[in-house]
Amino acid sequence: MIINFNTAAELAIACWAIGSLLGIFSGRTPALRIPGYVFSIGGSIVMAGFIAFYWTALDRPPLRTLGETRLWYAALIPLVGFLVEYRWKISWLKYYCMVLAAFFLGINMLHPEVFDKTLMPALQSPWFVPHVVVYLVGYVMLAASSVTALHNVYLQLRSKGNHTGESVSHYLALLGFVLLTFGLIFGALWAKEAWGHYWTWDPKETWAFLSWLAYLGYLHAFRYKIDQGKLQWYLALSFLVLLVCWFGVNYLPSAQNSVHTYTQS
Amino acid sequence: MVVVKRRWFQIPWEFRESALFTAVAVFFGFVLQYAASGSGIAIPHLPYNAIALLLFAIVIISIGLTFRNTPAVKWLGGIPLGLCLILAIAVISLIGGIVPQQLVAKSSLPSLLGMNQIFSSWPFAVTVLLFLANLGISLSWKLFPFKVKNLQFILFHAGFWIALSCAIVGSFDLQRLAVPINIGKANNLGYTMESETPQRLPFSIFLHDFSLEEYPPQLLLYDPHNDKLIMNKSQAILEVRKGTSATWQGIDVLVLDYLPYALPGKDGLPQPVDRATGIPFAKVRINTASTQREAWISTGSPMLKPDAAQLDGLYLIMVPGTPKSFRSAVTVQDEKGHEIIANLEVNHPVNFMGWKLYQMGYDEKAGRWSKLSLIEVIHDPWLPAVYLGFFMIMAGNILFFWNGIKRTEVEK
Repeated sequence: MIINFNTAAELAIACWAIGSLLGIFSGRTPALRIPGYVFSIGGSIVMAGFIAFYWTALDRPPLRTLGETRLWYAALIPLVGFLVEYRWKISWLKYYCMVLAAFFLGINMLHPEVFDKTLMPALQSPWFVPHVVVYLVGYVMLAASSVTALHNVYLQLRSKGNHTGESVSHYLALLGFVLLTFGLIFGALWAKEAWGHYWTWDPKETWAFLSWLAYLGYLHAFRYKIDQGKLQWYLALSFLVLLVCWFGVNYLPSAQNSVHTYTQS
Repeated sequence: MVVVKRRWFQIPWEFRESALFTAVAVFFGFVLQYAASGSGIAIPHLPYNAIALLLFAIVIISIGLTFRNTPAVKWLGGIPLGLCLILAIAVISLIGGIVPQQLVAKSSLPSLLGMNQIFSSWPFAVTVLLFLANLGISLSWKLFPFKVKNLQFILFHAGFWIALSCAIVGSFDLQRLAVPINIGKANNLGYTMESETPQRLPFSIFLHDFSLEEYPPQLLLYDPHNDKLIMNKSQAILEVRKGTSATWQGIDVLVLDYLPYALPGKDGLPQPVDRATGIPFAKVRINTASTQREAWISTGSPMLKPDAAQLDGLYLIMVPGTPKSFRSAVTVQDEKGHEIIANLEVNHPVNFMGWKLYQMGYDEKAGRWSKLSLIEVIHDPWLPAVYLGFFMIMAGNILFFWNGIKRTEVEK
């Protein structure tokens, strides 16, 4: 299994690298543009294929461990970059996204996952896939929003105005927030069925609530017409809360009894 | 445009005043908590808490509508105060997300300030109450006069108001009890986390049978000198089946035969028996650089010692698989003669007369042979209200998503 993963990961990273290079040089040689897209998207297709293969081999959705979720990030993050380029004609985001995806695969290559088919009874629920997938896509959107915001901050520091960039980071945050809300509520509905109560202030719940509040705050600040430039800092930094929620929680003293500490046997 | 510097408390109030107000409120909450020497808050039970909540909602909406042009009320229902209160709730939640939420010595400072039970502490209560007031007033302005374009705002904000207030007020009517039952017995006593005195339930549960299904057992190589398990080359958890093979540094193992339910016969060799008494046995062939041999290994059970194969100071062992599913066949019955027969399983609770029954646990030491089942019974009369809030939030969200996507097209 691991050999397969390494081959797939190397192939995907190679596709993204070639795609990025072709994309960068297509400024000078327009003929390289199409092959650039093909390779970039090819990388994500390789990862999607691997996930499908892994899913069948495991007999369960590969969404249980952090390593497994990283596979999904690697496949999905570049897609957000491509969508943003398609939608707003902003091409630089996809490069960041591909680097980020390669980084996630790199972590998995350095820490091979244990191939474990078991799924504890509480996770055997129809809520499992929607809850995790909604969060995955939400996190991906917010990661892209934060990267865009950072880029906007960088442009501001070099005193370049950038209205489109600001509206991209805003809309990605908006869509990400909607998905976070769904993830939170799906999680609550699932918890009621599996653990008896919809909300128990489990540390992961608390941090998910915190991340949700961070973006709720952003949307209200935006609505109040606070300077969009300043809000780029806010968006760039909110993602740190999400990062704690995503994998930092396991290291906090409060997480001893969490139902969300993914076993990394 | 000439920028005039705002003075403190100049009308209309903005972020500075809101931040100060919020900080004072949270501080006041901590003072209250300290004065109450760490004991939490008690709210009356149904129907009094429902009446109080309804009155609160009516008062808030009336204030919002009657004084909608008064600067003080405008500020009280405005975004600056709302943002500051969101931030305050976030900071309080941050404490709850870092400090373990468990019982500690009553006299310690974190306990006196309610840090270890932050979500039932005074500072949290004060902040949430102000937040509900702020949210409720802003909601009243959008509710009256009603406009369709405000629907998304109303669904999201009203949904949040309902879910938050009912979840908090309702938590005082929530009953969660664990009921331990042995096979062939009935029980109508439940235990809470906090107390050792059982409470009598309005019904009794009879346990017909408890059964547990496991994943296939796993093959592991154990190093007793360093007390650790050695990972095989493929990094896979090795499920024992006929034909399973595994490789460690210089050791090849092949499972020649696998009996999921067996016991040693007269000659010492395992013989298949029925599911209730048997344990997994596997016949393995072990190849090392110098030798080849075959051995029977088993997982053991509470009654039987496990068999392992020794290999140059290492042990090839078989451990039982993790639980795949477990269920209790029960009959639930109340004094009025209502009765249901049900299978309780994780993720598949059963409703009975306003209660929800959950498969909670079993005697983990006995594992598959457990004669005890732990059932959790929960009564939460506020659940429909909280769910109404959830579904309103989701409906509002779908509109928000839709509008968000539509708007991006306009702004291009």
